[in-house]
Amino acid sequence: MRYLLIVAAVLFAAGARAEVPRDFLSRFEKEAGVAASAERGARFFSTRQGGEWSCASCHTEKPTQAGRHAKTEKAITPLAPAANAERFTDAAKVDKWFRRNCNDTLNRLCSAQEKADVMAWLLSLK
Amino acid sequence: MSVLMQGDTTRLRVWDLPTRLFHWSLVASFAAAFITAESEKLRDIHVIAGYTLAGLITFRLLWGFVGGAYSRFAEFLPTPGTVIGYLKSLLKGNPQHHVGHNPAGAVAIFLLLGFGIAATVSGWAVYEDTGGRLMEELHEGASNGMMAIVLIHIAGVIVSSWLHRENLVLAMITGWKKARRDRVSV
Repeated sequence: MRYLLIVAAVLFAAGARAEVPRDFLSRFEKEAGVAASAERGARFFSTRQGGEWSCASCHTEKPTQAGRHAKTEKAITPLAPAANAERFTDAAKVDKWFRRNCNDTLNRLCSAQEKADVMAWLLSLK
Repeated sequence: MSVLMQGDTTRLRVWDLPTRLFHWSLVASFAAAFITAESEKLRDIHVIAGYTLAGLITFRLLWGFVGGAYSRFAEFLPTPGTVIGYLKSLLKGNPQHHVGHNPAGAVAIFLLLGFGIAATVSGWAVYEDTGGRLMEELHEGASNGMMAIVLIHIAGVIVSSWLHRENLVLAMITGWKKARRDRVSV
């Protein structure tokens, strides 16, 4: 009985933990229903998608480096998890910034597949 | 409700020019900040609107002590008693008429100033990348609080204008309001 309680507590703690970057890849892949492609993500990230800006306009084409806001010129910490442990650890923040930044670059929300591809590419960067 | 004779009312310059300019500039800068809130492309406009808002609120805080009679905080500082009394008179369909700010409007003004201070200070912190998540949440919460007060204020202006048969929007443009002679004290 005590053993069962410990197992339950561990499972509960695991469920309540903060996200890790890989969680977002699996979540977006699941939503999209197709496997993500890092190559597609790289292309998507660095080319304009209908708006004035691409993702790289602020995050640079090498997001292991710090970026620079295309309007205010303020520094932006690296986006790739390998270079910045704080990135993609908070679902509310991830959803908020995908919503804002997709609207700025695509003039619409990103599809789950687009987000999955970008995640796959960002996770592949060392 | 007593019927006012023609000679019982007079026109009074209630809102001084700085107060009116403040009011409509606040409308413009808050609208600009709210509309540009969701975009990084418009971030520069959002920040300029925010600084303008902060400057306007600073002016209003000073004007609340040295401004025209009806613009001074001491003239319309609400108490629980005056607010409840006013709301009761509204419910009875026989609203008290106030030449300056009515007690409910006065509460809205102080809430708006408070939310405005919180929104601009936290907005500055977010822009300077200090304060983290807490400041972000405060910024969004205070700004949404401002918007809620603005919507209630607009509804109140429409209802009061109708109840008192007086165009209050026009009064905030021209500064002139209707007043009963026996209530004119200033």
